[in-house]
Amino acid sequence: MSFRSRYLSPAAVRGMTRIGDILCPGDGHFPSFSATGCVEHVDIPLEYAPAADIGDLSLLLSILSYMPQPVLQWVVRQMAESHESSGPLSSTFRQLDFGLRGIIFGLYYSGRTGVGYSGPDTHTLTGYSVNRVED
Amino acid sequence: MYDYIVIGSGSAGGIMSRRLNASGAKVLLIEAGKHYTRKNFPQSELEYSAQLFWGGGIEFDTEARTAFLRARCVGGTTIVNQALMDRFDADALDDWKQRSGVDFFSLDALTPWYEKAEANLKLHTFGSEERNSNAQKFCDASDSLGYKWKYLRRGMDDCALGRGNDCVGCLGGCYRDSKQSSLVTSIQPALTEGLELRSEFEVGRIEHHSDHVRVFGHHKGEKVEVRGAKVILCAGSFGTTKLMLASGFKKQMPALGKGFCQHPQYMLFGVFDDIMDAWRSSFQTVASNDHGFRKRGFKLENVFAGPVSTAFLFKLYGKEHHRIMREYRKMTSLEVAVRDEPEGGEMSLDNNGKLLVKKTLTDQDNRRRVDGLDTIRQILHAQGAKEVVETAFYFGLHLMGGCQMGVDATRSVVAPDYRVHGLKNLYIADTSLYPSAPGINPSLTAMTLSYRLSAQLLGE
Repeated sequence: MSFRSRYLSPAAVRGMTRIGDILCPGDGHFPSFSATGCVEHVDIPLEYAPAADIGDLSLLLSILSYMPQPVLQWVVRQMAESHESSGPLSSTFRQLDFGLRGIIFGLYYSGRTGVGYSGPDTHTLTGYSVNRVED
Repeated sequence: MYDYIVIGSGSAGGIMSRRLNASGAKVLLIEAGKHYTRKNFPQSELEYSAQLFWGGGIEFDTEARTAFLRARCVGGTTIVNQALMDRFDADALDDWKQRSGVDFFSLDALTPWYEKAEANLKLHTFGSEERNSNAQKFCDASDSLGYKWKYLRRGMDDCALGRGNDCVGCLGGCYRDSKQSSLVTSIQPALTEGLELRSEFEVGRIEHHSDHVRVFGHHKGEKVEVRGAKVILCAGSFGTTKLMLASGFKKQMPALGKGFCQHPQYMLFGVFDDIMDAWRSSFQTVASNDHGFRKRGFKLENVFAGPVSTAFLFKLYGKEHHRIMREYRKMTSLEVAVRDEPEGGEMSLDNNGKLLVKKTLTDQDNRRRVDGLDTIRQILHAQGAKEVVETAFYFGLHLMGGCQMGVDATRSVVAPDYRVHGLKNLYIADTSLYPSAPGINPSLTAMTLSYRLSAQLLGE
């Protein structure tokens, strides 16, 4: 992976890509998160995020990048189920869910792709387009 | 020294600064966010979420159950909202009067002020020809079930809807200057009339003195102090309350930070066999107008969102998520906005000065949520949806309270003359003074109450 983020370490980018592929694995119609290369635009949302949040996110994603796949799948499951549960751990997983899904779905459905991707973007695949009449 | 310093440039701050400036007073308008205009608003969901909102997109309560949306730019939340302009009804104002003891919270007293605030806006009430497929389905299903609905009134000039414009782009700032944000209606005209605006100025603390107020903060990274004979806080429920707490007023004002309320909003999506393209044209033209819903404490709004926001809301991930997102063009959606109770909300600061928002939905709030969501499911099924897609969480919109207005200084922060109790040079004019959630879009009333204070300050 030649892409380098100004805000995330290479390990953190790997961690985000692995979580992204669990959320958006691809299904024949949609490509996987990693296939689109949309992670190459991760600095767009991070440029405006609070510095402390970026530091926490980078550390967490770096740790996750070294975890075996079943652990990552467990983390994502906990994130998804956290909105129905209560307790201190559920609050942590909810924050993680908001943060990671916000960035990952934000990148994936932005329609942006990486330099190595040549397929249709997600705006084309969802059929989303916006007409702007400017006069 | 300025005659007036207005902190915050949204619904309340825009009209306040324009009117004070027009009187010939020396006015400074301060805004923490950047000054974008129609020429350089960020254009994609990814960009505007990050650039125009506090927290880089969303903020949370202490339990991370509610995601709050709060804009950070010149024009405040009026840049990113739908500019829906409703007056409060007697039910909302009676509740305010009862809670606060403030006499002018009545339809009779506020109607002339609503008229004055509205005169500053271009208002448009939608009609049948402007409904998109999502709105048409909502109206038809509501009719079949006997639920009343209405066309929305919106602050807009020329959205070019008849020429194919899609207003969903407006959520990141209106590139036509059609939406009646405070930037368009007040700040841009006031700047041509000599108003001084300092954007990217984050106020950290204020200090009240007998003949002026000192304002301390950082302007584009530099430490700055400015002084005003009078300071009017218009930074919204979170911004104003945080500033009051950071300035050390909690000890003398036990009610400071209490009574935070909102309209928690829950969306459900219906999936159909046919193409809906629910984001097309004006994507929000109708809402419920049912007396029964009002009594039960919720209203329904006909809304939609771009793919980023939609995907973010869904509970699903993996291949199930992809399956649903394939149907994006075939979706409609409805939202229930609950009128919540202020008793469940309180704001404070942590040791680092970060705002902590504690918001527990009360039993009544939860009953209203369940009732509203059940009603949406009923409507979606009546529309003929083949599947109803649930969402994972809710957004806290219309943030209110924290510096409630009232006659009793032990139970409120702001006196009926908008002065902070006991501080003659410090005023609050934004939604933080709201005594409870009205169950109605709060933006027009924020402008109206601010207009009323400006008239008081100008001796009109």
